[in-house]
Amino acid sequence: MTEKFDEVKEVKVDYTRLRVPLGPVHPALKEPISLTVTVRREEILDVVIRLGHVHRGIEALAETRNLIQTLYLVERICGICSHSHTTGFVQALEEIGEIELSDRSLHLRSLIFELERMQSHLFLIGIMAYEIGFDTLFMFTWYEREKILDLFEEITGNRIHHSMNTLGGVRWDLSPSFVEKVNCSLNKIEKSAKYIQEVFQDKTVEKRLCGVGVLDYDEARELCVVGPTARGSGVKVDIRKAYPYAAYSELKDDFSVVLRNTADAQARTQVRILELFESINLIRAILEKLPDGPIYKESVIKLMKKIPEGEATSLVEAPRGELLYFVRTNGKEGLWRLNVRTPTIPNVLGLKPMLIGSEIADIPVTVASIDPCMACANRITVVDQDKRETIVTDLKNLRNRGKKQ
Amino acid sequence: MNTVIILLITFPLVFLLSLLFEGIDRKVHARMQKRIGPPIIQPFYDFVKLFNKERIIPMTASSRIFTTVPIIAAAASILGASIPVASLIAGSNVGGDLIIILYLLTISPIMVMIGGSSSGNPYGAVGFSRKMTMLIAYEVPMLICILSVSVNYTSLAYYDIVLTQVKIGSLLALARPSMAAAAAAFVLCMPAYTETVPFDMSEAKTEIVHGSLVEYGGPYLGLVKLAKSASNFALSFLAVSLFFYTPALLERYFSPELGGAMLLCLVTTLIFMVFTMTVPRTIFARLKIGQAFKFYWLVPLTLSIISVALSILGL
Amino acid sequence: MKIAARSRIKSPWLFHLNTGSCAGCDIEIVATLTPRYDVERLGCILVGSPRHADVLLVTGPVTRQMLPRFIRVYEQVPEPKVVVAVGVCAISGSPFVGSQMIEGPPDKIVPVDVYVAGCPPRPEAIVNGIVTALKKKFG
Repeated sequence: MTEKFDEVKEVKVDYTRLRVPLGPVHPALKEPISLTVTVRREEILDVVIRLGHVHRGIEALAETRNLIQTLYLVERICGICSHSHTTGFVQALEEIGEIELSDRSLHLRSLIFELERMQSHLFLIGIMAYEIGFDTLFMFTWYEREKILDLFEEITGNRIHHSMNTLGGVRWDLSPSFVEKVNCSLNKIEKSAKYIQEVFQDKTVEKRLCGVGVLDYDEARELCVVGPTARGSGVKVDIRKAYPYAAYSELKDDFSVVLRNTADAQARTQVRILELFESINLIRAILEKLPDGPIYKESVIKLMKKIPEGEATSLVEAPRGELLYFVRTNGKEGLWRLNVRTPTIPNVLGLKPMLIGSEIADIPVTVASIDPCMACANRITVVDQDKRETIVTDLKNLRNRGKKQ
Repeated sequence: MNTVIILLITFPLVFLLSLLFEGIDRKVHARMQKRIGPPIIQPFYDFVKLFNKERIIPMTASSRIFTTVPIIAAAASILGASIPVASLIAGSNVGGDLIIILYLLTISPIMVMIGGSSSGNPYGAVGFSRKMTMLIAYEVPMLICILSVSVNYTSLAYYDIVLTQVKIGSLLALARPSMAAAAAAFVLCMPAYTETVPFDMSEAKTEIVHGSLVEYGGPYLGLVKLAKSASNFALSFLAVSLFFYTPALLERYFSPELGGAMLLCLVTTLIFMVFTMTVPRTIFARLKIGQAFKFYWLVPLTLSIISVALSILGL
Repeated sequence: MKIAARSRIKSPWLFHLNTGSCAGCDIEIVATLTPRYDVERLGCILVGSPRHADVLLVTGPVTRQMLPRFIRVYEQVPEPKVVVAVGVCAISGSPFVGSQMIEGPPDKIVPVDVYVAGCPPRPEAIVNGIVTALKKKFG
């Protein structure tokens, strides 16, 4: 089933078709992804997506480290949703070790989660504006985003990698005076979020976003896209509602799942903007309900030593969608296997149906609208470059390959 | 002989003014985004720096075209900018008439386009096709505007039209309905010519990596940038002196040859540039090529045709 | 000569290259453009093509797939150029040390002028790193 590139048959050159390589280094993509786009004038005929430029071998690396080291390693999978990754990992460990958490630590985990969702969505809205050449909106959203980063810095001491989670709880507590401050910032952010929502109804913005990168409901279901990408296509998936984790089971009534049916870039952006308001509501509810109690159990090292051999899966709703962690511990402070399924992997697959038939000008908008996080996705090499062969295979063959190795 | 001397004096003046205006444009743009922005003389730093960088000619490029094209572009646009400025300074028609000026100002984008496509980069090719489309979109209404002016005043000489405004003591855009339509169409063509957002799709950074400029670097890029800012300045100056010659309103105080008139004209050009380049750049998103083309053939082209029709009717 | 050196310090154009970082440093580099830090007041702009650049901002530990691209981009930047390694990954490969996919920190491959530490470094630190690099090279 393998087909060598070297055996090139006679090629008919069609001069109306132009192959435009997009990436891995491209100003529209802050992270490397390679799209080879075949165009006729402005229309896109075919897209070849290649991942793997940021493949750092994290899963293999995790097997050589102990659990606490791995906790900080998985945080570095992605800089935008670092808290989601650590939550996913720690939850799996806590399930294996049967560690009970205090209510306060669970609430704090959810609080950081929602703050992270807000900064990630503001980030994406800004990038979206940047892609359509609307620099002013980009500057404005990022100016607002700094306010959330300030909150992060005051709570955890870091702007990007918060290192908030630890085995059996969280590392930093909120002081009562700080609660006021968070509320104050939230009010400001809510006001500007409303403004951003208005600006996104501007005519030139709508012209660029409406009807671009359409992924209809059936296709979205088929490709199993997750997160805001799915919700923009009308698929109701939200791990926070379906499989509540952290403190979300208590906060069920404080937020709703935002759905849009138009399935284009505008819909996905709208979902993100509206989720900002949901997150603001959630944070307010968390701050109101915040119970008293300890924030962590005991020394992490002691806890780590107690974790037996076992395996667990945990699901969290990262800003980009469902994030799955499969962890198998070896009972000796280490891991047999770590497997991460990040939301970008299913979402990137959605790019092909979105792009074919649209224009070159739509590529950056479409790519940005699924909010790809290449750093997350690239732990699997898809194409073997050294052997120069692509493998076209079905499930049966794949299983056979697995047996051979 | 006299013409040559005046033009030679005007060259450095145009060079300084166009870079200075670009600096002001960048500063205003930054202030509108809550930023401090670069110093006003930033384009000079950029220009000097680019001239002190390594010259790289990509292997895929056809090197002769690639290297000569920026020089032609810069020379054409500076000459195009010098003719109107020199005419105002000398108080007579210097160098050529409106057709020559517009021809010179069209050379520079075409040259940049050719340079981009000669680089062998696919983005250059996409930039070429987009720029070509835009050129057709805005060049036609622009030329029809000039046609309408010449039908009205039976002259294509640049300085004659400026003098007409002084004679009637009013701006050309306010003088007759046909001229108002022509001025509106010309102003609408400005952002497309200067390639600012919303019509900068031929140089869109996030879409096609600066389009034609993608392979240019060092001195060549400096020349291309100079050509762009000179032709931006030239077109704004042309638009102001043709349709909005403000010294005409104060003709009692300024005789057209004096430096004061020139200064007032430059100030108007600056304000005009801020409103036609900086403000759209700040408040709009980039359009797609099809949408821009549709807009240009719907609004400015219709306006310019109305203007010609009105001028033939004598309104 | 003095004018040339001064204008080089005053107009550094940045090109940002992600060689496999976690996107944290990349976000902070973009954040330097935004109103709070506004790197454009120092004359910096983020350009899209390496041919226009003076300063190459490298983030990440250089993965195997990005290695040829990294070298190519470095060669495309015209002289005189400055390379700033942003983040701990670009200094030592920090959390990814020992991985088979890492081709070593960038200074193994190209000469690096300034290292900006932090995971990720704050935008102020990045701006400081750029300024230091320029002063070191041209000042």
